[in-house]
Amino acid sequence: MPPESPERDPVTSQSLSGLLLISALLLVLTLGWALYDEFYGLRPWKDYQRDFVVRYTAFLRRQKPKQEAAERAIKASPEYQALQQQVDALQKSVEPELRKLDEQSALIDQRLAAITGKYTDAHARVTYMIWEVEHNSGSSKRSWQADLDKFKKGPFRFEAVSLEDGRVRTESVDYDRLESEFKSLQAKKGELLVRKGELLRPVSELKAKLDAYFKEHMTGLTAAQIQGLIDKTQAMDIAIKQINNPDAGIVDRCESCHLGIREPIEITARDMGGRRVFVSHPDPELLKIHDPEKFGCTPCHNGNGMQVDSVKQAHGEYEHWLTPLYHKADPRAKSAGAYMEAGCQQCHTNDMVLAHAPVLTAGKDLFQWRGCVGCHRYQNYDPEPEELTAAQQKLQQLAQQRAEDVANIAKATQAGDNAPDNETARQFYAQANEYRLAVTNIDLQTDQLNTRIKFLQMDRKKVGPDLKEVRAKLRPEWIPVWLKNPHAFRPTTRMPRFRLDEDELPAVAAFIWQSALDVKLPSQPMGDPVKGKASFESRGCQACHAIGEGANAVGGWFGANLTRIGEKVDYDYLVRWIHNPRERSAPYCPFEKRDLTPADYQKHGLPYVFDLDHSKCPNDGHELVVEQMTVMPNLRLSWQESRDIAAYLMTLKQKDPASYPPAPYLNDPQLKAKGEEIVRRYGCAGCHEIAGFEDEGRIGTELTTEGSKPLEQLDFALYIGQAKREGWWSHRGFFEHKLARPEMFDDGMVKAEGEELKMPNFFEPQNGDLTKKWGLQDLPPESREQIAQLTTFLLGSVSSQYPARYFDLPEDQRKDIQDGWWIVKKYNCMGCHQFTLDQDSVLMTLPQYQTPDGKGQLPPRLVTEGARVNPEWLARFLANPALSEKDTDRDGVRSYLKLRMPTFYFSPIEVRKLVRFFQAMSQQPMPYIPQKLEPLTSREIAMARALFTSKGAPCLKCHAVGLPAHDQYATAPNFLLAADRLKPDWVKHWILDPAMIDPGTAMPSGLFRQEGGRWVFNGPTPPVFQGYEGDHADLLMRYLFELTPAEQQQLIRMTGAGMNATAAKAQLRPAVRGRAAGR
Amino acid sequence: MDWHQLWAILSAPDNIPIVAIAFLVPFYSWLAFRQARANDRLIAQLEADPQLAKTHHRKTYPWKPGWLKEVHTWPYLMRMEFLAALIVTVILTIWSITLNAPLEELSNPNLTMNPAKAPWYFLGLQEMLVYFDPWLAGVVFPTLIIVGLMAIPYIDANPLGSGYYTLKQRKWAIATFCFGFIVLWIVMVFIGTFLRGPGWVLFRFGRTWDPTYQPYAVNRDLPDIFHITSMTGKAIFGALVVGLYFLVMGYLLHRLITRKGFNRKIYERMSLIQYLVMQFFLITMIALPIKIAIRLLFNIKYVWITPWFNV
Repeated sequence: MPPESPERDPVTSQSLSGLLLISALLLVLTLGWALYDEFYGLRPWKDYQRDFVVRYTAFLRRQKPKQEAAERAIKASPEYQALQQQVDALQKSVEPELRKLDEQSALIDQRLAAITGKYTDAHARVTYMIWEVEHNSGSSKRSWQADLDKFKKGPFRFEAVSLEDGRVRTESVDYDRLESEFKSLQAKKGELLVRKGELLRPVSELKAKLDAYFKEHMTGLTAAQIQGLIDKTQAMDIAIKQINNPDAGIVDRCESCHLGIREPIEITARDMGGRRVFVSHPDPELLKIHDPEKFGCTPCHNGNGMQVDSVKQAHGEYEHWLTPLYHKADPRAKSAGAYMEAGCQQCHTNDMVLAHAPVLTAGKDLFQWRGCVGCHRYQNYDPEPEELTAAQQKLQQLAQQRAEDVANIAKATQAGDNAPDNETARQFYAQANEYRLAVTNIDLQTDQLNTRIKFLQMDRKKVGPDLKEVRAKLRPEWIPVWLKNPHAFRPTTRMPRFRLDEDELPAVAAFIWQSALDVKLPSQPMGDPVKGKASFESRGCQACHAIGEGANAVGGWFGANLTRIGEKVDYDYLVRWIHNPRERSAPYCPFEKRDLTPADYQKHGLPYVFDLDHSKCPNDGHELVVEQMTVMPNLRLSWQESRDIAAYLMTLKQKDPASYPPAPYLNDPQLKAKGEEIVRRYGCAGCHEIAGFEDEGRIGTELTTEGSKPLEQLDFALYIGQAKREGWWSHRGFFEHKLARPEMFDDGMVKAEGEELKMPNFFEPQNGDLTKKWGLQDLPPESREQIAQLTTFLLGSVSSQYPARYFDLPEDQRKDIQDGWWIVKKYNCMGCHQFTLDQDSVLMTLPQYQTPDGKGQLPPRLVTEGARVNPEWLARFLANPALSEKDTDRDGVRSYLKLRMPTFYFSPIEVRKLVRFFQAMSQQPMPYIPQKLEPLTSREIAMARALFTSKGAPCLKCHAVGLPAHDQYATAPNFLLAADRLKPDWVKHWILDPAMIDPGTAMPSGLFRQEGGRWVFNGPTPPVFQGYEGDHADLLMRYLFELTPAEQQQLIRMTGAGMNATAAKAQLRPAVRGRAAGR
Repeated sequence: MDWHQLWAILSAPDNIPIVAIAFLVPFYSWLAFRQARANDRLIAQLEADPQLAKTHHRKTYPWKPGWLKEVHTWPYLMRMEFLAALIVTVILTIWSITLNAPLEELSNPNLTMNPAKAPWYFLGLQEMLVYFDPWLAGVVFPTLIIVGLMAIPYIDANPLGSGYYTLKQRKWAIATFCFGFIVLWIVMVFIGTFLRGPGWVLFRFGRTWDPTYQPYAVNRDLPDIFHITSMTGKAIFGALVVGLYFLVMGYLLHRLITRKGFNRKIYERMSLIQYLVMQFFLITMIALPIKIAIRLLFNIKYVWITPWFNV
């Protein structure tokens, strides 16, 4: 049954007023909420700005008294007071004159004020009437002229003060008079101003001096400046602060909250009550280089510059923003600045050294040193293989083109011969000639390319040693031990651990052993290990190589640690290696793709000689690989010394090599094929030269823009969920975990044999337990630091969205510096030399170079090398540091040094880059045009000789002269080198004040003093100088540049007993504070 | 979609309407049916008493002496509508304050989202793309839906049930609506939202959406099962199957329509064109879930294959 109808009408009896009231109230409330949200809720930066104003003002107010006190202290100093008194006195002395001028000036002003109005009005009228006269003709012109004349007559009346007596009277003048009066008054006024300025000039000059003194002694801002900041802060608009650079598409509103970033005073979080958001930029230097108005914030720091809704969004830390803020690492970590420096990389890809980004710079070095570049292509790293391929392809094209052109010559000639008439024949012959020219051009180009290929081959280096040599070089039993875990044998090695299982390891070892060249090296007599140790420690080996493990390691990190070298190598091979590491057992022909044998040379009746001067293939004339691809240079040691060092190195072992288990399977031919497949799979040829793998490419992914690869494309495998939960679902997290344990992304995956991740282990856990899965936190701190550095480098490796003109791609000398650093780093030049004052070379840290004598043995500091040496000489020196074809076992410049500049066999490409680098580092123009020097007169020669041999300047005491007995103690280069080697300007500066150029040098300063615009010898002048008006330093410099061997003999004779160098050294000892003289 | 992902989906601002649908559709369906039943009771009461039928009932109550004969629009209707406007305004305002539009950053054509999902109201269409040719699912069917909706007034021969909820008088229309809207549209929206993961792969409820998940599923065409290989054969076979379906389904529907007296009466009021148009739309509509079923259950991709279109 339907329900009974109610008593009262259900529609009309129902009241909705309560509901309506509540709803209406709710609507009003929501409206209020909406308004609040609009003004505050959506604009959190407003709170930041108000907070900043309060805190910053309070901070400035706290600073102000301090700065005021500092100001008062400076102003109370006697110097300031004295200056102030001078100012006051001077001010007082000019006071009466000044007052007179001011009175006159006031009078003129009064009179001018009275005239100006009258004159400007009349002048406007006259100008107008003249226009009418000019633009009318006939009667109206005459009528206008009449009006003008009438108007000019005036009279113009005004009340003005008289300049003569100062009384006010009414004057009446015509227009011309009025005008001249006005102009003369103005002129008088100007004249008075000039006089006033002249009167005050000494005062203002003195005041400027006072200000300069104040500025010099005041650190930080003055109280007035702080007050200015306070006023500015208080008047600050609460509004979005935005940097807008449409040129690069930068819109950054970061400063809406980070308000203190660009303040001229250092603000720390503590100053702002712990609010880190308000700190000033920690490196204002960087902001000076990168003007924020141009560069904004996000190009370096990442984040979403436009966002101001919330901190998370502004920092880009949400799903839809692909470039989240770069963070600092844990502040307790050594590389605390890490990750943030990643921002530098996108524009500074070409820079190997960035002064403000030490972590990134270390990452860049590691990428090369660790051999990442063996598997992963990265722009600018190891470019030679690609350039070689390109050059070889070009060669092939040219050969083809040449063949075509030669055929065309014949065709055109024939067509000319058969031509019906002379005109046609001439055309064909001309065509043939054009083809001939083209062939010539191709031949020339081919020559160029061949030279380039040769040079590129010289520059091409591999990270690891040549495995073709293993049979001669290594003990066979050692190979499997090494392959199993290189870190176990040598903890600091850059060879990573490949996860080879029990089957793979023997196969790889067998393949490497069997593919190597079967060469027999001549047997070497045993050397003297004691002498060898001394040589090892004095020849500079330790710039790259260390001996001792862990904290006991002494020496550099660049080369292999030699602590256990005696367990692995063959003595005969080691001797050859030390004698010349670039020597190969057989040349390799890239055209035939095989190693040549003596038979190949014999066929053509050639001796089996292959080196940089004999680098053409006897079979086909292509450029051979004649050097080992190692960066280790030739130290030009004698065979005996090489044997001594080798003998010493053979004593370095922790275990008897005989205790290694034998490895008979190395010669098992059945293992070879499998080994070859594994070697190919793991890309061993990326770092090593391996027979049959010479043309193998890199097996890894290119990393040039890895940092901007979408996160989804990074293979997190089964760790996606965990990474998201633990907060490392990011590029940084991936790079760090991948580097810490590359195979972790195989965990739990079902993979077929050979499909597993190939990247080897570069880092091992602190406890050395390889059986358990380890993570980032289990690694030793050094490893974690290296990972942070590499991660920073990879994070910054992005494809930039900014225009290329924002990149650091200079075309001037700065490019030479960029290019040069790559070479300097490639060969570890910094192991021996200092390139900047704040960089210590490895050698400087070694114990044997801490004594004064030891310091005198250190290689030269190269900070001003470009300004010092003639670039042509430098090129010669770099190519051959012995500076002699015959006598190679010596150092060209400083034969007295035990350390010697080794021969790196730089190709001309690298020599050119290095020379330009040094020139650019010292801002020297290229090409260098030597300065023309005035030839010496016979009197000047006599004077110079006298000066050279005088007791006050015993030059030959320290400088080498070519006499073995003397040079043994000489600590400065032979003067005969100067003319060829040095730049005259630099020599003069050097003679005058060597300590300015090279602080701590043994060369004494103050040999000359300034006298009447010239430099004169600062000691008892020899008598011949009587009446000489020339510059003494200049004379000496010119003499040096004219010095001949005969002249030097003359000097030696004249110096006589003063040649006792040991005595000279003893005398100079107090001045020796660091290095040898004369660099 | 595991619990974590379920929460992520439910809490996404763009999915608020879907979450709301889950509650609002059942609630309003219930409300409508309750109202319809009450009205049906009133109709029965009024039909039983011709005197009472001449009076003005209030809501679902028959008129009672003492009540006003008529009620005015103002204030009795207007105040209700005003109240509703107030409440809706409050809800919309709060909604827009608390939840921002789910806008993302500038799009990057090199980096697309996976799964890329249409707005919730188009998810049904997107789901249809799995089962049909893009031009069928994206062009023909939406057109048919619109044309079909437009055709309703012209094929509706039932004069009753206008202006009030009733079940008894419009069973046929309500059943069709429930099938078309709730079963086809809403369910497909839910499938698209909760079951379609990366790669538009169907993930059963509770399974984590993993971009690397690769289900084993090989789709066949119906003619392949019968080993028909020639194109013409496939076209003819498909046409036969589809034609047969239309005939069988048309017959079944005709039986259903003419089964009961009330429906038969309506049927007799319809012209042939009206009837055929209604049959066509009904048969096509029913085809959709059938196609989904044979695809999901038997992995059959297409039934009718021609060089121009596939069904």
